[in-house]
Amino acid sequence: MNGDMVQGYVALSGILFVIGACGLMVRRSPLVMLMCVEIMLNAANLAFVAFARYLGNMEGHVFTFLVVTVAAAEVAIGLAVIVLLFRKRDAADVDDVNTLRG
Amino acid sequence: MVWILLFPLIGAAGLALGRNHLSPRLIGTLGSGAVGAAFLVALSALASYNRAGEPLVQTVFTWAKGSGFEVSFGLLGDPISLWWLVVVTGVGFLIHVYASEYMAEDPGVGRFFAKLNYFVFAMSLLVLADNFVGLLIGWANVGLASFMLIGFWNYKPEAAAAAKKAFLLNVIGEVGIILGLALMFMEFRSLTFAEVFAKVGEADPGVLTGIGLLLLVGATAKSAQLPLFTWLPDAMQGPTPVSALMHAATMVTAGVYLMARAFPIYQASEAALTAVAWVGALTALTGAVVATRQVDIKRVLAYSTMSQLGYMMLGAGVGAYTASLFHFFTHAFFKALLFLGAGMIAHYLHGEQDIRRMGGLAKKQPFVYWTFLIGVLAIAGAPPFAGFFSKDEILGAVLEEGHVVLWVIGVVVAGLTAYYMTRLFALVFAGEPAQEHGHGHESGVAMKLPVAVLALLSAVSGLIAIPGVTAVPAHFLEPAFLRYGHHVPHAGIGWPVAVVLIAAAAGAYLAAKAYGPGGAARQALVATAGTPPRGALANAFYIDDLYQKGVGGLVTGISIVVGRGVDPYVIDGAVNGIAMVAKDIAEGLRRLHGGYVRRYALTLFAGVAVFMIYYILI
Repeated sequence: MNGDMVQGYVALSGILFVIGACGLMVRRSPLVMLMCVEIMLNAANLAFVAFARYLGNMEGHVFTFLVVTVAAAEVAIGLAVIVLLFRKRDAADVDDVNTLRG
Repeated sequence: MVWILLFPLIGAAGLALGRNHLSPRLIGTLGSGAVGAAFLVALSALASYNRAGEPLVQTVFTWAKGSGFEVSFGLLGDPISLWWLVVVTGVGFLIHVYASEYMAEDPGVGRFFAKLNYFVFAMSLLVLADNFVGLLIGWANVGLASFMLIGFWNYKPEAAAAAKKAFLLNVIGEVGIILGLALMFMEFRSLTFAEVFAKVGEADPGVLTGIGLLLLVGATAKSAQLPLFTWLPDAMQGPTPVSALMHAATMVTAGVYLMARAFPIYQASEAALTAVAWVGALTALTGAVVATRQVDIKRVLAYSTMSQLGYMMLGAGVGAYTASLFHFFTHAFFKALLFLGAGMIAHYLHGEQDIRRMGGLAKKQPFVYWTFLIGVLAIAGAPPFAGFFSKDEILGAVLEEGHVVLWVIGVVVAGLTAYYMTRLFALVFAGEPAQEHGHGHESGVAMKLPVAVLALLSAVSGLIAIPGVTAVPAHFLEPAFLRYGHHVPHAGIGWPVAVVLIAAAAGAYLAAKAYGPGGAARQALVATAGTPPRGALANAFYIDDLYQKGVGGLVTGISIVVGRGVDPYVIDGAVNGIAMVAKDIAEGLRRLHGGYVRRYALTLFAGVAVFMIYYILI
């Protein structure tokens, strides 16, 4: 893996991250927001792996493991919350869930 | 010696606690007994001193002990303190006995005797202490006792106001004393009499003058000298035994005691000594002049006390300490006698004190007539009564030290004293009654006996100081003054004595003609009964009104500005302002918690963006 190729991967990672971020800010369905979070996490993973291959390092791969694990756990919880939300209020709009205010 | 302090203190505490459980007669007996016991201890201390020839020293407790130094609180029984002690406890005892009948029907009699005992304790502490701090503690406590006893009938607004005025003016004096003691400590590094007086010779004269003047401020307040005297006439609101004991015989003499006790300082500072003499002379003059126009028995006697205290200060101010102290001695007797007599008159007339409504009591109250007459003769300086000897000793010494103007003032005051006392005597006892009073309330033995004893003492106590023949007070007191190198001046009998006698006789004659039965002034005065006296003299040159309106107004003005302006706007504003700031910050931060999930996400990314800009560009 040479410098040009890494650039490509990192660029892709960045684009994916921005897409995920914008999606998170713009979309209103909780499920879609969760998917955007996944996109962001995977973008980070991609960057890790690309650099690991480029530098010949194992640390990037190890960190990817951790991130995937966290993502999995988060998805599990997140989906559970969303399912409960749908059951309680038939919410398709995350803006309606605003009662935890200060 | 410490029992002199403990007997009245225990009496005060016991009576205060048991005042609702004991009968009035028992209260009076216990109160008098406590002071009587103290008197006996004082006499035995006197005897011990005479045997030993050296001042008695007793350490009460040791405050701090280090290696090489020791700070302890002790009592000193030297001639000056023993002199005062015998008078305080002796006359105190007589007045307690008198009061046991005078105050018997008052519902607060237990409280009264507790406070009176407390006063005797505090006064004894003042004169017995061997250092200036103990003196100051006693001083402040007699001020408290005065406040409590002037305002004894606390439901009377005039009494409460008078008590407050007395206390405030005395606080001014105490400030002076404390500043003086601070100077003293800075200069001498000690406040014990022995240590301070030993080093007076090496001290800075300016500092000594400062100390002397500051202590004089204290004495001016306590001994009702000009210009801090305005509390004394109002102090007559208290019961007559209080007026007799505190505001005539003992408490007000504390200033004179201080001047005598600190004599090495005054002897070292010409300026301070002269100040003392002039304050005394001017006070004597003012008091006598104002007394000639008073219409309340007790107020006449109050201004008279002020004037006689002026004499004592004058004596101290020329270095004639033995004369001054002897005048204190005789004055205690005849002034207490006069006050107790006034009490008997008031008792008889059911509380009347306005002399314009009296008259003709010579026939109705012969006992009071004769004893009061002895008091009048004593104070006016008629030989062979006590006042003659003591007053002439002071005036003789003044002249011998070369202070002619002061002597002239003293002679004028002697004449005025005879004048106003004769005026008082004539209006109260001579002639026909101005008003009918019905059947009077006769006094009992408990009141008559102390008065008789005081009359006897007023009559004969002068004989112990006939110049050249017996000189008991001088011989007794001189060692205390010689100890620190002061020779007390003596005066013999000569032409000055005759001048004083002529002045007094002239004063008495003029008053007798004007106010005797059928006198023109008497009729004019009696006609004004019921209206308050008018004129500058009767109102003490309006000095009191000046204080009330001037100082009082100033203080009230400042209070209004601070209370209505500074307090709500500045202080409350600051405190509330801090709270307001906290509230505004909180409200601002609160907006971060909207509850909208997407806004949280936006905030998050905005932070990331800022972070990235910072790291990439900066």
